[in-house]
Amino acid sequence: MDNNLSILVVDDELSVRDSLSNWFIEDGYTVDTAEDAKVALKKIEAYHFHIILIDIKLPGMDGLELNRRIKAINEDMIVIIMTAFASVDSAVEALKDGAYDYVCKPFDPDAITHIIRNASKSIQLSKENLSLQDRIKSLVNVDDIIGESEGILNVLEQVRVVAETDSTVIINGDSGTGKELIAKAIHMNSSRRFFPMVTVHCGAIAENLMESELFGHERGAFTGAQYARKGKFEMADGATLFLDEISTISMKMQIEILRVLETKKFARVGGNREFKSDFRVICATNRDLASMVKNGEFREDLFYRLNVFSIIIPPLRERVEDIKLLSEHFVKLYADQMNKGTRHIGKRAAKALQNYAFPGNVRELENLIERAIVIGSGDTVQLKDLPFQQNIDKPTWESIQDMEHHHIENILKKYDWNISQAAKALGVDRVTLYSKIKKYKIEKGN
Amino acid sequence: MSLIKIIPLQFSAVEELEKMLSIISNRFKMETRLSSRPFDMNPYFNPVRSQYNANEIIQKLVTTAGDENKIVGITELDLFIPVLSYIFGQAYLGGSAALVSGHRLHNNRYGLAEDPQLYSDRLLKCLIHELGHAFGLKHCLKPGCVMVSTTYVEEIDQKSDIFCHICQEELAELTS
Repeated sequence: MDNNLSILVVDDELSVRDSLSNWFIEDGYTVDTAEDAKVALKKIEAYHFHIILIDIKLPGMDGLELNRRIKAINEDMIVIIMTAFASVDSAVEALKDGAYDYVCKPFDPDAITHIIRNASKSIQLSKENLSLQDRIKSLVNVDDIIGESEGILNVLEQVRVVAETDSTVIINGDSGTGKELIAKAIHMNSSRRFFPMVTVHCGAIAENLMESELFGHERGAFTGAQYARKGKFEMADGATLFLDEISTISMKMQIEILRVLETKKFARVGGNREFKSDFRVICATNRDLASMVKNGEFREDLFYRLNVFSIIIPPLRERVEDIKLLSEHFVKLYADQMNKGTRHIGKRAAKALQNYAFPGNVRELENLIERAIVIGSGDTVQLKDLPFQQNIDKPTWESIQDMEHHHIENILKKYDWNISQAAKALGVDRVTLYSKIKKYKIEKGN
Repeated sequence: MSLIKIIPLQFSAVEELEKMLSIISNRFKMETRLSSRPFDMNPYFNPVRSQYNANEIIQKLVTTAGDENKIVGITELDLFIPVLSYIFGQAYLGGSAALVSGHRLHNNRYGLAEDPQLYSDRLLKCLIHELGHAFGLKHCLKPGCVMVSTTYVEEIDQKSDIFCHICQEELAELTS
């Protein structure tokens, strides 16, 4: 018996509600009751029941209509109709509307036991199915991560070491270096791999929504909270919680997160019920958190709580030897996706890629190759398919930083200082582009 | 005082119950006695179903409780609860009273030769099972444990009259 299953019994007869409650409680299920459809709907909106037993004849809204309403709220809830012999036709109608099964009252003890056990198996199979689907989507094998430079091999070795532990990990690296990929690799090589990796893009969530996003909320917690909702901490029970761009969260939220990391307990917004969740935290940032601590921008206690194991992904310009392997990987990936015959990279194109600074790192390289596959023809990526061929034969800059500076300046001019378009062309996000503009003091008139 | 009382309610084979007292006492580490008290079963008869309402009987039994920790009624009459066609016994989890029926435990009810020993074994298992619920134990999945849920007499025969070690430990905690 799955003790985690919850059952709602909806029947207007108190004796039936009491009898069934007692029967299911002895089996270890969590049971609640409702005397009519109105009360049942209120309870269903506030709490997720796995199985709902409904008497077909109820005062007010009948069992058939209640079944339809439940299916509209959540079609995954299993509805079992209880009926008298005289209304079997109605029960069949309920089956057509998505009910799982029906039983005729009074029923034999083994009949209801078997139906509930079958329903439990069905719920378990659905859970496993979803879990496997998520797992397949996020499959990342350490050996599948491309690179043979000392920098990336060092990172992969660290992934192997830390994956088996349950330690908190901070992944540090410039935008586009593949922090989420490394987080997935850690998750997929850990004992939590059979559960999904729950990702929170901290920088993309408005401050006022962050609390609800992480902790969930109860019905009516705030205007618009029509239904109770699980937060990311709750969803990550048994799994890995990936907090991307952790440096962007507010000081207030840092306190909240620290508390949950220490106790693994929390309450939903607007609720008093305490939830417990067993999750492992991996976080990522492109900023130096230690400096942020010194500057008072990041809490020291949270930093030390998170900084159990640190992985630094070197930028692509510091592992030039990986560019060739990554380029070939992306050529094959996108050629297959677009059903094109491109298989090679021409010598001049390869040289251009090798000499480029890649401020947007692997993400930028990937975008360049994808673009080249789209516009190119034949079986080889040519220099003309890449956006920077004019500079390849006559490099005029001494350092990689100079190269990055001038490239960003050229792209900004090309797109008439449209930051979104320029960032897209560079393969970086707008925040990164703004920080580069500030760093190199690039001005519109220059 | 830790005491279990077994009350026959229209149950004639009292000598069978006397044999079970020491076993039940041993299982629950509690003194177990047979006791009799006036109890009219007629108000709980349902003429449509020709059965007796177990929920109502238990509610009445609770009101007659004395100095004992748990009280368990035992009857030869056929029992039901409103939504189920029959039951072997009934108890509220952690409640003070339980009820067991021997009506459906006889072999001759199923077209087989009556087997007094088998009947007695089944009765003992049902008594311990329902008392287990009254002490707060839920159904167990461990094959053979007396707390395994059973809906057929054949299933009762497959389990023993003892608690598995997990239920035993839980019972010890519940009764400590």
